[in-house]
Amino acid sequence: MILKGRGISRGIASGEVLLNDSPVSFLGGVAPSTGELTCCPGSSIKGQVFAFPRGKGSTVGSYVMLEMKRVGTLPAAILNESAEPIVATGAVLSGVPLVDGIDLSLLRTGDRCTVDGTAGTVELPDVKEVHVVSCFLRCDEKVLMLKRSDKVGTFKGHWAAVSGYVEEDETPRQTALKEVREELNMLEPELVRSGQPMRVRDGDVIWVVHPFLFQTKERSITIDWEHTEFRWVSPSEMAGLNTVPGLEAVYRSLVK
Amino acid sequence: MHLDRDEEAILAGEKGEGGRRAMELLVALGDIYGAERLVPIASAHLSGVSYKTIGEGGIGLLEEMAADARVCVPTTLNPAGMDRERWKEMGISPRFADRQEHIIRCYEKLGVISDCSCTPYLGTNMPRRGQHIAWAESNALSFANSVIGARTNREGGPGALAAAIIGKTPEYGLHITANRAPAVVIEVEGDDIDYSMLGQAAGAISGARIPYFKGIRPTIDQLKTLAAAMAAAGSVAMFHVEGITPEAGSFSIDGLERIGVGKKEMERAREKVNTGTEPELVAFGCPHLSVDEIRKLASMLKDRRPRGDAEVWFCTSRHTLSQCPKEAKELERFGKLVCDTCMVVTPIEERFKCTATNSGKACNYLATLCSQKVVYRDTKGMVELIS
Repeated sequence: MILKGRGISRGIASGEVLLNDSPVSFLGGVAPSTGELTCCPGSSIKGQVFAFPRGKGSTVGSYVMLEMKRVGTLPAAILNESAEPIVATGAVLSGVPLVDGIDLSLLRTGDRCTVDGTAGTVELPDVKEVHVVSCFLRCDEKVLMLKRSDKVGTFKGHWAAVSGYVEEDETPRQTALKEVREELNMLEPELVRSGQPMRVRDGDVIWVVHPFLFQTKERSITIDWEHTEFRWVSPSEMAGLNTVPGLEAVYRSLVK
Repeated sequence: MHLDRDEEAILAGEKGEGGRRAMELLVALGDIYGAERLVPIASAHLSGVSYKTIGEGGIGLLEEMAADARVCVPTTLNPAGMDRERWKEMGISPRFADRQEHIIRCYEKLGVISDCSCTPYLGTNMPRRGQHIAWAESNALSFANSVIGARTNREGGPGALAAAIIGKTPEYGLHITANRAPAVVIEVEGDDIDYSMLGQAAGAISGARIPYFKGIRPTIDQLKTLAAAMAAAGSVAMFHVEGITPEAGSFSIDGLERIGVGKKEMERAREKVNTGTEPELVAFGCPHLSVDEIRKLASMLKDRRPRGDAEVWFCTSRHTLSQCPKEAKELERFGKLVCDTCMVVTPIEERFKCTATNSGKACNYLATLCSQKVVYRDTKGMVELIS
């Protein structure tokens, strides 16, 4: 799949992702002679796609990257959530592609990856993007949770909203209406609003979840083979259930 | 950021590889800061000169840029890692000297004026009010913004070099009038102000905000000291002084936070920076001494005799030195007139462990960049240390 960000330093390069959760100062944070991270000996950024939230520290950090260019220890590419001038300057001048605006929670250390700093894209050839809908049904202040049966393909026994794959010839909205009709036996479900799609990494899959909020006045519903039970819960109770990944965050994005 | 057709052509490499890389850097920085376009600049001032700071990696960049790029606006250079004539007396190794000279030659090939100084505004690079410029070196850019009324952001060395090559810089931050308004009022109490310690206290209060001073009437040299200390203690890139600096009257200060600074705050700042007792080096001139400062020191030292074992440096620019050779001679009785460099960017840590200074700026960098214990004295106290 391809993640879209913003190109800051041009060029194309490939490597394996090395993820660092905290901001990085190249001055003091990286040993230029080897490319080793001083915080974690044995872990070298040389030739890797080095992913970290943002740069920090002294402006001399730009020159550290130039020294790494001279001795051949540069990373293949850099990915940031938001680029800052010190690392960006070092990246441009040492010819390392840099893309920012990337959600690092979608990456895993070891992912094969191609960074295009000119187009501002990040390609993950081993990771599949799957579009699904997640449809929340609200009745007064309660939200419908459904427990997935043993007959479904994924997340058996987890609590979820009404969900389904977006087929190739469908828009997410069409999928949402179809799934609610089928799974809950509702003839005319009332769509309140849709939300921005959210991405969640799960193994080799990035789920692109398209959220929808429906409402009903009728608490009694019928479920089909995909679920074994249902509950009406208050939003705060959602976190206490064993749900599919990111479910509470998806709901919050709809009602904020 | 929007680029016009000429700028696009440079980015596409039509005017050479150095120009392409310079433009790529300006576009990257402009995008990060949310600039909409580039604005023409009147001059540039570059940091990234000392071999101690930029090393072989920096030399590689300069060699590549100098292959086909040239600066297209008047551009000056920060202090280097040594006095270009007296480096042997300073204990600099021949290898360091050779690499340092190579750096300066690269800059000369790029078309940069090579009087290495952190005070270009005292003679070699004098912008006018309202002009856009791209300056690195925190004391110089704060002086240019605050005292002259020119407009620059806090550039890094490579960003300023890229701007000098293109002749333009991304329009954001202090290039835009509204962003030059004060954010905090500092009311100074008392007289006989020590501007280094006022700068230390005010820099810590301001952080990255623009302060507006009430209650002081600084001279040009005191403004230079204040700018330098605040840039080092906080990251102040601009300040206003009521009734003194050119843009102080352009903004309302109604409703701003007001903070008092008096003897107590300055004394506390002095206690904080003083970490040493026995200086092995006594260094004047951070920022580089002006002609007036050299004259004043010469008259203070006139009838006195040298004393103590500490090495003594008076750091200034060759441009300044050439304007007061007689007074400089007077200072030579007490120590070395050191040009092209200063105690912060030359590798003093290889020879000294404790340095005395009268500079609020040097107090910060002697500790962080040079591993020194610091003895802070005002100018009179410094004179007492050496005579």
